[in-house]
Amino acid sequence: MFGNSRRTPLERAESAIIISSLFLLVVFSLQPLLNLLALSLSDPAKVAGFSGLSIIPDGFSPDVWLLLLQHPNVQRGIFNSIWMTGASVLIGTLGTALMAWGMSRPKLPGRRIIFVLVLVTIVFEPGIIPDYFLMKHMGLLNNPWSVILYKAINAWYLIILIRFFEEIPEELLEAAELDGANPFQTFWMVVLPLARPALATIALFYLVFHWNEFFRAMIYLNDQTKWPLQVVLRQFVIGGDKVAIVGAENANNNIGIAQINIRALKAGMILITIVPILAIYPLILKFFTKGTMSGALKG
Amino acid sequence: MVAQSKQSTLTTAGGNVPKAKISQHAGFLHGIRQWWPYYAMMAPGIIFFLIWHYVPIWEAKMAFEQVRIIPPNIWVGLKNFQALFSSPVFYQVLANTLIISGMKIIFVFPVPIMVALLLNEVRSGPLRQSIQSAIYLPHFLSWVVIAGVFVAFLSPTDGAAGQIARGVGLQPINYLTNTGTIRWVLVFTEIWRSAGWDSLLYLAAIISIDTQLYDAAEMDGANRWQKIWHVTLPGIVPTIATLFILNMGMFLSADLNQVINLQNDVNASTIDIIDTYVYRIGLTTGEYSLATAAGLFKAVIGMVLVLVSHLVSKRLTGKGVW
Repeated sequence: MFGNSRRTPLERAESAIIISSLFLLVVFSLQPLLNLLALSLSDPAKVAGFSGLSIIPDGFSPDVWLLLLQHPNVQRGIFNSIWMTGASVLIGTLGTALMAWGMSRPKLPGRRIIFVLVLVTIVFEPGIIPDYFLMKHMGLLNNPWSVILYKAINAWYLIILIRFFEEIPEELLEAAELDGANPFQTFWMVVLPLARPALATIALFYLVFHWNEFFRAMIYLNDQTKWPLQVVLRQFVIGGDKVAIVGAENANNNIGIAQINIRALKAGMILITIVPILAIYPLILKFFTKGTMSGALKG
Repeated sequence: MVAQSKQSTLTTAGGNVPKAKISQHAGFLHGIRQWWPYYAMMAPGIIFFLIWHYVPIWEAKMAFEQVRIIPPNIWVGLKNFQALFSSPVFYQVLANTLIISGMKIIFVFPVPIMVALLLNEVRSGPLRQSIQSAIYLPHFLSWVVIAGVFVAFLSPTDGAAGQIARGVGLQPINYLTNTGTIRWVLVFTEIWRSAGWDSLLYLAAIISIDTQLYDAAEMDGANRWQKIWHVTLPGIVPTIATLFILNMGMFLSADLNQVINLQNDVNASTIDIIDTYVYRIGLTTGEYSLATAAGLFKAVIGMVLVLVSHLVSKRLTGKGVW
């Protein structure tokens, strides 16, 4: 395992300890999620006594997933989450790239001032109540755009992109200029293609951030039909609002979805919310890990 | 960042700026004419920052006003701050915030360092990558999800924690509703979320250590632990220092998203932090001025902490917050 055959028994014991510690960490990281996955896929009749330690479904039934995915609240949540996250990612990535490109030009007059303008927002955050009143005064309360535009351009990601753009070889830009390209064309046809890995990283950052965002949606959006999935999940699992998912009539008469064990429903709801993260996780590993390993990121 | 940009000014040129010497004033006008496409591209971003980040600073003047249902508000000076500082609840949430941040610094901060040291000892690339893939995952889940996962995990009746406790002969308790354990739940869930991912930064630092140092240590007959102690750890001390100082800069935050999802009626008083207090008295009770004053207090102290930590970090390790 450690690729060296000339090892003393002591060294082999050390290696065993190291590997088992890391194995425990892997179990610790994944078991709570796998347990809920197994719970949500178990036969509803056998869920009541399902062990918190098990990661194997007891019997198999897709009922929990199907019932939840057919539920209007869940479907609306998925729909809202997808379009709101999509809009945020598009606006954020493009806006960040455009601003970073200008700020990466060393001779841009006023570059310093704009830098300070951005850094101040990192250092000083006046808090959620002034943010709330900004939305109120702009008439954006209960409007999804209040959530979509929240942190649409993230100061940290902006700085990462500026650093990346600063590295683009000057000759490439001069060549484009000699060919008669204006700055817009240079940006679109030279800079963006070159920056594809960096842009993908930033887009993934935004995707994870906005998909996971719940707090702004929770305080800005009163209308439940506008809620993203995280807020629907929160109401059910954290708020313990069972009726929101199973419905008052079902709950009172113990019919339909109310017959399904509440633990299994909650587990299914949690898993549905993280499916998109799992789907892009290979990309995350590819880009985030590389970005962090090359020292492009901090914090 | 700024230092770096100064450096690149010397080495690179952007746009077709004429090299002829022109007067300062004419140069400025000329600059605008030359650079307008860049300003046009930056405009959406700059406007976004002004509206989304600077208007709230203006809105924060509410902390010095009495909010009336029919505007305008009345200027009351520091009255809201006096009310805040004479409220026992405020000191309770301040103490909670400091205790929780302190516990996280002591018990969460060292874990990713140990994880990185362990990972570095795994020589097999595929094995190490599989471990990394598994332990990074929790970092990308929302606190709503993590809280949901741990409500199930910590359940005394059918959660894993309850079963393990019974297995070793203990009486399981509900860690989430117990005021003595809820802060440890914050520590525990934070470790679950960040220990893996945060180790990546240390691992990056370890990998950049000169391999000749290890070879030299081996020549001197150093064993695995001696190499870790005398080569690896000294090699990552700057990274540890930087991240420690940056953590200190966040001391008054203690993570709103985490607390708000693990808070309940029973444990609220033990883990009520400044941010949840601002949220509760502001958006739930409607005491906007008092809440804004509390938020502004946190913002100002937070700003001082971040700036101090930035300067200290810059002085000690050459790396700042930005």
